[in-house]
Amino acid sequence: MKKYILIIPLLILLFSNPVSAFEDETGCLLCHKYPKMGRITEQGIKRSYQVIPGMFGSTVHRNVPCTDCHNYIKQLPHQEIKEGVRCDSECHSIKNPATGKNFSHKPIYNTFKASIHGRDKIETGLDADKPYCISCHTNPIFNPDEEKPPKRIIDRCVVCHEDRKFVTNWYKHTSRRIRDVKRSPSEIVELCSNCHSDKALIERHVEAAKKEGRELGKKYPIAVESYDESFHGKVTRYGFTKAANCLDCHAKQDNYYMNVHDIRSSRDPESPVHENNKVDTCRHCHIHADEKYAQFDPHPTSKKEANAFRYYANIIYGWVGDIVIALLIGMAVLETIGRRRDGAGWILHKGSSWWRKSPRNRDRIE
Amino acid sequence: MKLSAEAKNVLETSMRLNKTDDKERAEIEQLIDNIPDDRVLFYKNVVSNPIGDLPRYSIHIRIQHMLIFVTFLTLAFTGLPIAFIDQIWAQPLNDMVGGIDISRVIHRTLASVMIFAMLYHVFYLMWIAVRDVARGRFELQRSIIPTFKDVRDFKLDMQYSTGRRDQRPEMDKFMYKQKIHYFAAAFGNLVMIISGSSFIFPEFWATILPQGSASYFQEMMRLSHPHEALLALLVIAFWHWYNVHLAPGRFPMQWTFLTGKITREHQIEEHFLEYLRNLVELPEEREYLNELLDARELSPSTDKTLKTAEDSI
Repeated sequence: MKKYILIIPLLILLFSNPVSAFEDETGCLLCHKYPKMGRITEQGIKRSYQVIPGMFGSTVHRNVPCTDCHNYIKQLPHQEIKEGVRCDSECHSIKNPATGKNFSHKPIYNTFKASIHGRDKIETGLDADKPYCISCHTNPIFNPDEEKPPKRIIDRCVVCHEDRKFVTNWYKHTSRRIRDVKRSPSEIVELCSNCHSDKALIERHVEAAKKEGRELGKKYPIAVESYDESFHGKVTRYGFTKAANCLDCHAKQDNYYMNVHDIRSSRDPESPVHENNKVDTCRHCHIHADEKYAQFDPHPTSKKEANAFRYYANIIYGWVGDIVIALLIGMAVLETIGRRRDGAGWILHKGSSWWRKSPRNRDRIE
Repeated sequence: MKLSAEAKNVLETSMRLNKTDDKERAEIEQLIDNIPDDRVLFYKNVVSNPIGDLPRYSIHIRIQHMLIFVTFLTLAFTGLPIAFIDQIWAQPLNDMVGGIDISRVIHRTLASVMIFAMLYHVFYLMWIAVRDVARGRFELQRSIIPTFKDVRDFKLDMQYSTGRRDQRPEMDKFMYKQKIHYFAAAFGNLVMIISGSSFIFPEFWATILPQGSASYFQEMMRLSHPHEALLALLVIAFWHWYNVHLAPGRFPMQWTFLTGKITREHQIEEHFLEYLRNLVELPEEREYLNELLDARELSPSTDKTLKTAEDSI
């Protein structure tokens, strides 16, 4: 029996799907393969610098050699790292097939840089609160189970492209983009909420704006909570996908993927929520929207300082409701007391509910 | 029983409208004379069938009630978890009604059924009102329309409830409580329809309302829809259901919404004027009452001392 048990791990090894080999030409793994490779930062955070080749080999950056991104490392062992990886650096090993230039995230990075969120890799002060690329984008692991390409397509591709693995990866790369894979609305709201519902962060920015005499968006301090209170927000929280989420209104829709990186302040004439652009933005979904429609508040709130009308209306509504209920229940209680006093029983029993004795001396004749 | 001027008027009108002949008229008057003066003693002694003795609601009204009843509750259960999403019960209730993709379809579909039920009711009432006016049978006090008498009835009934009066007032087919409930429901229904329509057709409301007021209107509607829904549900749960299921004599259930009939004791207690009309319109009720008054020796004319003396001989 024992010798058969040994076969099991061997079988697993045999049929497991080995990830693409990660070539360590620069010898980084000499040190970075060790699990204890890491440090405790000045802020007391434990950082691990271990690279697990099998894991990294499954990510979208698997074909990029370490020094293409960590281009500041010129010798081993390397010096202390000040800035780290910048996402706008150029890959020397990967060419952009469309332009033939070195591949880089520079175009989208520049768009992002010009947006209200734009910042550099290392920032201090208020700009450090802004998101950098990795605040939203991780280095996603390629999911081998996501979708098996249809055999008939791969069979056709290998006729010319020969390498079955290449065409499989190429198919996955392309089909994923054709399928319009993006974050779900509730994930988008969650992502934006990471910063926009951070009370300390908001307070810092509101205070700073006040000091500098700079104007902030009217809804800036309550953006998330008011959206959550809106109909769009509520149904999105339940997983409904057709209601507007943050990006549907705050990013221009002509090139969604580009423009989600180009969020502008609502005072910027380029912003889709700028006074002059609101109607067009509403019309993406509400096709008959007009100027009056665009005045509807998509971030409703009952906070006194933000919307006094709604604040008082809400209070009055609450009171009216409470008073009505109290009066009606009071009436029912009084009526019950009166009728019980007169001998009413709860159940209609043998043809009458007045079988109890009453102190008024006018009981049912039995 | 000596009738009040008001009751006499109702009785006279009813006899005139029903073209009661002199023989019947004498019979009815004799019968009413035999009813004990203490109305409480009267309704305490009648025998009632729990599922109802006397006609009250036509089949149309029962269908309308059923439609409103089913749609209202389902609308509440599909709508409230959205409006009150932060409450602990919201998520499970939303899952129970099929999740947002399904519940929104249910909500909108049933909203149209509810609007249909309301229109059905309004047109039905208009039709019977026109018919009755044409036949000269329309009686305002017998309808649901509030009159000053209701204010007086309310005052007198409160005096009865607090023990300062020994009789409930002589109320008509619809007592003050039912009129309050009816108009509250009608108003609530209208609010729900208008505010609901401002969610599903916001562009329409923005187009027809003047500049400057459209956004305030929308804000009011956003507040009204959940506030009114919750108020309506609470009124139904704590007041209406108490009155028809839990109140003394109504437990476990008043069958009127299914059978269209009201129990005799209830009719005499809360709708005495309608009971007088029943006496005119239903000969079998007169027959029943005659037998009852005899059997229970309730008539004020019955000389109890004499009877007892006769028995002892």
